[in-house]
Amino acid sequence: MTALALTINGRAYGPTEVRDDLTMNDFLREFLGLTGTKFGCGAAQCLSCAVIVDNPDGTSVTNPTCIIPAVGFNGKVIRTVEGHAKDGELTALQKSFIGHFAFQCGYCTPGFLNEGQVLLERLARKPVARADLEKTIGEALDGHLCRCTGYIKYHEAVRDVILADPKRYLI
Amino acid sequence: MKSGWRFPILASVAALIGILIGASTAYAAAATPAGTLAAPESFSSIADPDKRSAALFTELGKVLTHPRCMNCHPAGDRPRQGDQRRLHQPPVARGADGQGLESMRCSSCHQGANFDPGRMPGNPIWHLAPREMGWEGKTLGEICAQMKDPARNGGRPVADLVSHIGSDALVGWAWAPGAGRQPAPGTQKQAGALVDAWVKTGAVCPQ
Repeated sequence: MTALALTINGRAYGPTEVRDDLTMNDFLREFLGLTGTKFGCGAAQCLSCAVIVDNPDGTSVTNPTCIIPAVGFNGKVIRTVEGHAKDGELTALQKSFIGHFAFQCGYCTPGFLNEGQVLLERLARKPVARADLEKTIGEALDGHLCRCTGYIKYHEAVRDVILADPKRYLI
Repeated sequence: MKSGWRFPILASVAALIGILIGASTAYAAAATPAGTLAAPESFSSIADPDKRSAALFTELGKVLTHPRCMNCHPAGDRPRQGDQRRLHQPPVARGADGQGLESMRCSSCHQGANFDPGRMPGNPIWHLAPREMGWEGKTLGEICAQMKDPARNGGRPVADLVSHIGSDALVGWAWAPGAGRQPAPGTQKQAGALVDAWVKTGAVCPQ
């Protein structure tokens, strides 16, 4: 057993003792009831389980949770799909996902949403040229699998948010 | 009558076995069981220093061409994984620093240690070998020449390869890869001893 303390969606959790072999996915879903983070392949190959990790330097990355021990997140600040909307107001990306009907079964949506949000924040820090935008979105979403094959709609939904605010995201 | 021709046959078989034993003494490595490495001393019967050096590297080749090493020395930008050497899933690329793209870093999944419940290998400095150190698809002789070339070995003098293979922490992971993955043959110490002996005999490459 190891002590685990972390911040999830702005709220501090722990310290609490957890088993060393407990995955972060089980911790979120079974211990905290945050079931928005999905369990898909169990091998970090579909990334439906990905959450956002906010680094101390202001950057963010996505992390799968199904193959990483919960204690590996000790001291970290993370966001899950439950943490995007504020005061009941969906983010621009969430609205765009709905507008494009970017999901069908929805199982992969939390992972895509987190990845898209990380991309938006990265582009806000480091804008790219319009000519590089399609490749940039493609690379960002590349690791995520959608069994309903909604890739184009996800891509378009992310792109629309970026093109709606070009001064923020594009050179 | 039958016993009359049995004798010459038995004698011939015995002579053949003797020849084979004699030959295999010189190339002890060839008889080394799978998953093990021959000790450098077992090559001492090879009189020609160049041939002995090349034989030492050939033995080391069991490690270099093992999936634990080859998977992260790919020919392209995408590593392979598992004992079957399948392309890495999810699809990842080396990125500018060999540690992944901005959207997916190696350390996102590969943490400081193996996590067997998730079948995830880990090491604090997990990363791909630089592109110029790609071994995939090359013969052992080509890999050897590459390892001796400072332009393609990270600027190392050949002598530095002893510590790189013999004591580097990430290289050492190959012998403790976690559940479901076959470790590299022998031990890291034995591999380092082979490199040391290879360097001391002139670092000759096999053909």
